[in-house]
Amino acid sequence: MEPGSGLPQRRAGGGGLDLGAGSAAGSPLQVIIIGSRGVGKTSLMERFTDDTFCEACKSTVGVDFKIKTVELRGKKIRLQIWDTAGQERFNSITSAYYRSAKGIILVYDITKKETFDDLPKWMKMIDKYASEDAELLLVGNKLDCEVDREITRQQGEKFAQQITGMRFCEASAKDNFNVDEIFLKLVDDILKKMPLDVIRNELSNSILSLQPEPEIPPELPPPRPHVRCC
Amino acid sequence: MACVISGLPESIIAAACARSGQRVLHVDSRNYYGGNWASFSFSGLLSWIKENQQNTDLSDECEDWRKLILENEEAIPLSSKDKTIQHVEDFCFDDQDSAEGVEEAGALPKLPVFGAPAAKGVSVGSEESPAEEGVSPGSEESPAAEIPVPESADGTSPSTDSAESAPEPGTTEAAPSESAAQEPKKITYSQIVREGRRFNIDLVSKLLYSRGLLIDLLIKSNVSRYAEFKNATRVLAFREGKVEQVPCSRADVFNSRQLTMVEKRMLMKFLTFCLDYEQHPEEYQDYESSTFAQFLQTRKLTPSLQHFILHSIAMVSETESSTLEGLQATKKFLQCLGRYGNTPFLFPLYGQGEIPQCFCRLCAVFGGIYCLRHSVRCLVLDTASGRCKAIVDQFGQRISAKYFIVEDSYLSESTCTNVCYRQISRAVLITDQSVLNTDSEQQVSILTVPPLESGKAAVCVIELCSSTMTCMKDTYLVHLTCPSTKTAREDLEPVVQKLFNLNTEKETENEELEKPKVLWAVYFNMRDSSGVEKNSYAGLPSNVYVCSGPDPALGNDCAVKQAETIFREMFPTEEFCPPAPNPEDIIYDEDEVEPEESGLSNSAETKPESSAEESSSGADAAVTKEE
Repeated sequence: MEPGSGLPQRRAGGGGLDLGAGSAAGSPLQVIIIGSRGVGKTSLMERFTDDTFCEACKSTVGVDFKIKTVELRGKKIRLQIWDTAGQERFNSITSAYYRSAKGIILVYDITKKETFDDLPKWMKMIDKYASEDAELLLVGNKLDCEVDREITRQQGEKFAQQITGMRFCEASAKDNFNVDEIFLKLVDDILKKMPLDVIRNELSNSILSLQPEPEIPPELPPPRPHVRCC
Repeated sequence: MACVISGLPESIIAAACARSGQRVLHVDSRNYYGGNWASFSFSGLLSWIKENQQNTDLSDECEDWRKLILENEEAIPLSSKDKTIQHVEDFCFDDQDSAEGVEEAGALPKLPVFGAPAAKGVSVGSEESPAEEGVSPGSEESPAAEIPVPESADGTSPSTDSAESAPEPGTTEAAPSESAAQEPKKITYSQIVREGRRFNIDLVSKLLYSRGLLIDLLIKSNVSRYAEFKNATRVLAFREGKVEQVPCSRADVFNSRQLTMVEKRMLMKFLTFCLDYEQHPEEYQDYESSTFAQFLQTRKLTPSLQHFILHSIAMVSETESSTLEGLQATKKFLQCLGRYGNTPFLFPLYGQGEIPQCFCRLCAVFGGIYCLRHSVRCLVLDTASGRCKAIVDQFGQRISAKYFIVEDSYLSESTCTNVCYRQISRAVLITDQSVLNTDSEQQVSILTVPPLESGKAAVCVIELCSSTMTCMKDTYLVHLTCPSTKTAREDLEPVVQKLFNLNTEKETENEELEKPKVLWAVYFNMRDSSGVEKNSYAGLPSNVYVCSGPDPALGNDCAVKQAETIFREMFPTEEFCPPAPNPEDIIYDEDEVEPEESGLSNSAETKPESSAEESSSGADAAVTKEE
């Protein structure tokens, strides 16, 4: 009496049941980036995923998420990196943003003290909404601007030490310093705690995503339509 | 355009507008998203309860904004106090004092904040990280978490995957530690408080039909990327004092041990007919002026089958609903079977409150600006044209826009003098067992309880298990909803008493003992502004659109229809929430929008209609703007 065979559709174009088992790398690993406005969250992400950097782009509104496939411990892992979509501007990031994140990258700008002073506020949000399994990484960005530094490395390390397992590093999206390392280390930490098979099973077992992920072949960089900068 | 309050219809409109290239400013006076569509952790809900139980007097409202109104303008003040929630009553069925001093645990393992030397490994020096190495490991040792642990005199230890345990490398998290076949673990109130983060308690209780307006919209707009869902696994009925499972799919019917062979054949035959009943008018045309219940009586169905069909499948009124209404509702149910699972329904992981947030995110991705904790004091009208031109916020700033979306609860009493509201009665319970225990504990069930007295409404009960991420392990979250006849407690407590054990004493009758125990409950009435005719609001200009709050129906059609109707009134030529292009390509830069600027600001104005071409072109170029 039910239409069709009664079996759930598999990976149909729209509305297919995504069991994860059928896709190449399973459901992607979700990582979110948070931090105050202008610290370089989107820049770090884009440096990692696209190896690009745009100096003039002040406030990037309009980035949803990016996917990059990395190879770690002999496995291909699809990393899905979410951007805040500008909602941090007026302190209005949704609680939903934190939900399924397996990794959280908290970024501040080493040349702006107020972005460091904002960190406790972000920690509070993580404490409230994130999964306790999430791996945390604190990043002091804009290492290329050493002359304008306002936060010492020690200050950053000390902050991270307050939380067990929170790693710390400094990086520069502009100079492409330490960017790959931080993402890879984060993924590595996530995998160490939870082997990939478990991640895949956990997600495929009775949780539905209504759509498959955008189909981007892992080998090719995502298409760049034109030069981005304003 | 400016949007006030972030409930579901408003969020959908905001997303649709941003998606079609409009500039959107979306504000909400609260510090959370969703308004009456929101969901809360346990501590969050307790705060919400407290707020709504207090009668705060805001008679000393500051009217400074009046100074900002110019001569050729008029102001329509908005309400600053929300009056949509009433009769809030909460009950704790365990010793509430045992939770004294217990705090809700957070995600982070905490270190002693004030430098107490207790925990080992706290002050690991930073010397261990060599300067050259990019990433320095944080302290690898796990200090003891400093979250206060209640006395374990109650005999149960906190679940192994609670927030307190620092993650151990190599251990698989969330291993199911207890087998299902055990007597229910005793959950105490203090445990609920401590694990309060695990609760996501919706103010609105709904499910998604697997074929329905909301699901279609989520998929079409790609907003479904932002959420995950679980199937509702069971449809239940309450008959002759007992809870039973209703077989809905073909497989269910065949495998049912409750139905006789004859009943199985009867049910299959009837449901098959319902699926395309319009093709067989001869079967029902004689009964078009009867009720569906009367029609069922003529169909060679046993009383129990009639009950299942009327109350749990069609879910229509025994006394009020016509044959055609019943047939249509049955067909809708049947058509939704099998798309994703065995029942017609889905439930969003983490609760219904996620959905407005998902649409808000889409809006933000396409340039929408979000400001929580931002109240609007009044609308500013241009006297000559009668149109609204700006809003004034709590900081005394004027923000101009072309269109305004306001939710009903924000409108002042004078605007709503002619409006008659209905109410929705709601209850939320935390229980220790399912209403129907079977092999699997992880069930999401919907149960319709027929009216216990004539003149009352049927009560919709939705029971959520912990894997929906709405309640802690070994508990269930139960939502009850019905259109109000009296206070929520008066409407719903009789049903609660039928299904659950409310006694706190250990010694109760056997019958009671079999029923799940309620650990905590809250009742409240919520205003139902969904049926209000828009022209019954007094004095609103044509470019101010009103959204209603939640409606009592099970699905979300009302919210989606509203959103689409309003969007089409504003932008008749635009497509409503078209599929988003590949997320990698949605990068664009735009002029800064600065609502902080005082005076008349151009920045929040909507873009001219040329945006129509942009959104209809191919995926790559769709949203790229000035470069």
